[in-house]
Amino acid sequence: MEHFRIENLSFSYPTSEKKSLDKASLKIGKGEYLVLCGKSGSGKTTLLRHLKTVLTPHGKGSGEIYFNGIALQEVDNREQAAKIGYVMQNPDDQIVTDKVWHELAFGLESLGCDQKTMRSRVAEMACYFGIQDWFHRDVAVLSGGQKQLLNLASIMAMQPEVLILDEPTSQLDPIAASDFLNTVRKINTELGTTVIITEHRLEDIFPYADRAVVMDSGKIIADDTPRNIGKLLFEQNNHMFTAMPTPVRVFYGTNGSGDCPLTVREGRAWLNKEFETEPEIKEIPCKIIGDDIENPALSLKELWFRYEKDTPDILRGVSLEVPSGSISAIVGGNGAGKSTTLKAVCGICKPYRGKIKIFGKPVNKFRSGELFGNCISMLPQDPKSLFVKNKVIDELSEMAKDKNRINEIAEMCQITDLMNNHPYDLSGGEQQRVALAKVLLTEPKILLLDEPTKGMDSFFKETFATILNKLKNQGITVLMVSHDVEFCAKYADRVSMFFDGQVLTTDTPQKFFGGNSFYTTAANRMSRHIFKNAVTAENVVELYRKNKGGAR
Amino acid sequence: MKQDAFSKLHPAVNLLFFIGAIAFGVLLQHPVYLLAGVLASGAYYFMLCGRKGMKNILLTIPLFVFITLFNPIVNTRGATVLFTYFDRPYTLEALIYGVVVAATFVLMLLWFGCYGKVLTGDKFTCLFGNLAPSLSLLLVMVFRMIPSLLQKAKQIIGVRSSIGKGITEKSSIKDKLGSGMTVIGVLTSWALEGSITTSDSMRSRGYGTAKRTSFMVYRMTKADWILTAVMLALLGVIIIFAANGGMNAEFLPERNIVPVNRSNIIGFIAYLGYLMIPTVMNIKEAIQWSISESKI
Repeated sequence: MEHFRIENLSFSYPTSEKKSLDKASLKIGKGEYLVLCGKSGSGKTTLLRHLKTVLTPHGKGSGEIYFNGIALQEVDNREQAAKIGYVMQNPDDQIVTDKVWHELAFGLESLGCDQKTMRSRVAEMACYFGIQDWFHRDVAVLSGGQKQLLNLASIMAMQPEVLILDEPTSQLDPIAASDFLNTVRKINTELGTTVIITEHRLEDIFPYADRAVVMDSGKIIADDTPRNIGKLLFEQNNHMFTAMPTPVRVFYGTNGSGDCPLTVREGRAWLNKEFETEPEIKEIPCKIIGDDIENPALSLKELWFRYEKDTPDILRGVSLEVPSGSISAIVGGNGAGKSTTLKAVCGICKPYRGKIKIFGKPVNKFRSGELFGNCISMLPQDPKSLFVKNKVIDELSEMAKDKNRINEIAEMCQITDLMNNHPYDLSGGEQQRVALAKVLLTEPKILLLDEPTKGMDSFFKETFATILNKLKNQGITVLMVSHDVEFCAKYADRVSMFFDGQVLTTDTPQKFFGGNSFYTTAANRMSRHIFKNAVTAENVVELYRKNKGGAR
Repeated sequence: MKQDAFSKLHPAVNLLFFIGAIAFGVLLQHPVYLLAGVLASGAYYFMLCGRKGMKNILLTIPLFVFITLFNPIVNTRGATVLFTYFDRPYTLEALIYGVVVAATFVLMLLWFGCYGKVLTGDKFTCLFGNLAPSLSLLLVMVFRMIPSLLQKAKQIIGVRSSIGKGITEKSSIKDKLGSGMTVIGVLTSWALEGSITTSDSMRSRGYGTAKRTSFMVYRMTKADWILTAVMLALLGVIIIFAANGGMNAEFLPERNIVPVNRSNIIGFIAYLGYLMIPTVMNIKEAIQWSISESKI
């Protein structure tokens, strides 16, 4: 018997004419691992929220949902609370209490469990999720990844039959995200819990999912095994194809033969079969960058910084030069000090040693206000922290008086039709664009970006990259710190590695990622045994075509 | 975080101790008993806070002197007049009573300082979780909210200054006020926004579907029971002696202090013993540890 049966579900929000769900029908079997994908705003969250009565949004709707064969409204809330677990996007706001142990017990407390049951369940969960070490800690000191794991654990403590996850890793860095998704997979395979998940990072889950469902403007447009979905999207020329894992994109990009690979391992095997003899062209031409940069837009020399007197140094001699009119990226592990470097450039943190020069002028020689008035500006990690007004248009007017300029920037960031919305009502990608527009209105010559692609879907990443390229062509220098190696490999001119409080190496993405074997892109891991410096799916396709003459 | 030996006990035992210590600290105005209270609370506070705590303890001295000297100005009763000023008498009895008031005040400060270190918010709510589940949950949520709001405020201020909207030394007061208001406004809407998610998360985990129970991470162990018994016994002794007038002290209008002698010394020993429980526990633990360490 299936777990959920959704029949002809339609729904529209009270304020909108558009149907958020349009006659969606879906069956979800017991123990299945189902991925729900689609662009932001395609109705994924709305659909998921319908699977739990207390979360169902208000609005006009029709259609039926059955849980274990019973209409969902008939299942009482207590049973739903225990049997249907729901993990949301924001790791922080989901947490209710102030201590880890209390959060783990929260659901059980609500259900009125007795001490003995609670004790054993909490202990069990803490062990399964590796939480023992931070069991007594304050929630406030946890990292984002730990918080989300705690959310998952506290729901699993109620022993649900179904686990629903709504973009659970969008706020996490890639390593924490992949840990989290592995845990979800473990729950599915070891406990047989049905998993329904929406996710932008398909690379990590697509190969393991039993079924993928694609949504577009409230409709379910595809429902098949992941392997077939790749094919279908490619044939339909659907924009969701850009979200597919690298091996899939390479396979269809090259018009390859055989079975479509889903993982890096399968991708390597497939490339081996394609190139039984060594290919002639193994490299794509790329620029060589020298060490000397003439008139760098930004130069950092030997920066040392720590937050408090008796804490360890975060920056330990950071030196970096950024050429003007380029897109430079700094990659590196979590908490390595990447964001702190940007903060030091902006003057939020004051390094106790070292020099920062902006266009050759030491940063402390800038008079107050001069630095941020058309010189330097930073887009923060959380775009929400920039918003102070009730309307997008007011946000923009706060920064500049010139109406034409506002319109120009709004046009470029593609937010002209959002002007009268409340910034908090926008989706993550839209918020990011509004924030970018707001920052751009300070007319910066140097734009600093802190984790700009966090929470963006693959479709919007491309739009975002186009905007960045436009800025670059206008002569603006872009410096971003990011975990997103795929994005940096594709769009940055220079990539620097940040490690141990220092910038260790700087090179072109091809050279940088081509030389790494772990810290690199999926495309490179998949093709490094055949090609020397292919770091994006496009690179692999290009080299493949060059060797095979474009056609088979 | 390292906890001291007494803090590791069940919160109920901690609470019982502080109720006893603070209640008798206020009720007993006998100078000898006050001195014992001040010393015991000072010793324990020093153990909890270390060198930082020493600074706070020393800070109570000026406070002590001030209250002592100030009391006769407000209170003019008393038989022995030391001197008069503006036709008001400054009496010896009032001065002595000032010492008593000051000592009580210092003792309270120190005990409450210890209380804050030992019975942290989570322990307190854990204690009352079963009596008033909703109220204790509310408290827990407030405890969580305050640090997260502070952190967000810091973030917003940083972000504002990185786009040139921050305040500098040169900003006018009007700008500073305006900027502060903006931050508060953002925080409010942020908190409201977050609270929607939080309430979803609560309801999704069955909040309100059944009578709430409360998870106790702390269990009453044998040591907890024994110590509770000891404490109750000591409190009993203290109450008996206090009721018999063995701890009486009057200051106004005339001094009348019952001396500590053979007939009531047991009451004093019980009181001192009670107050020294945490300190003795810590010393005992330290000794035990160093013995077991020397065996390694």
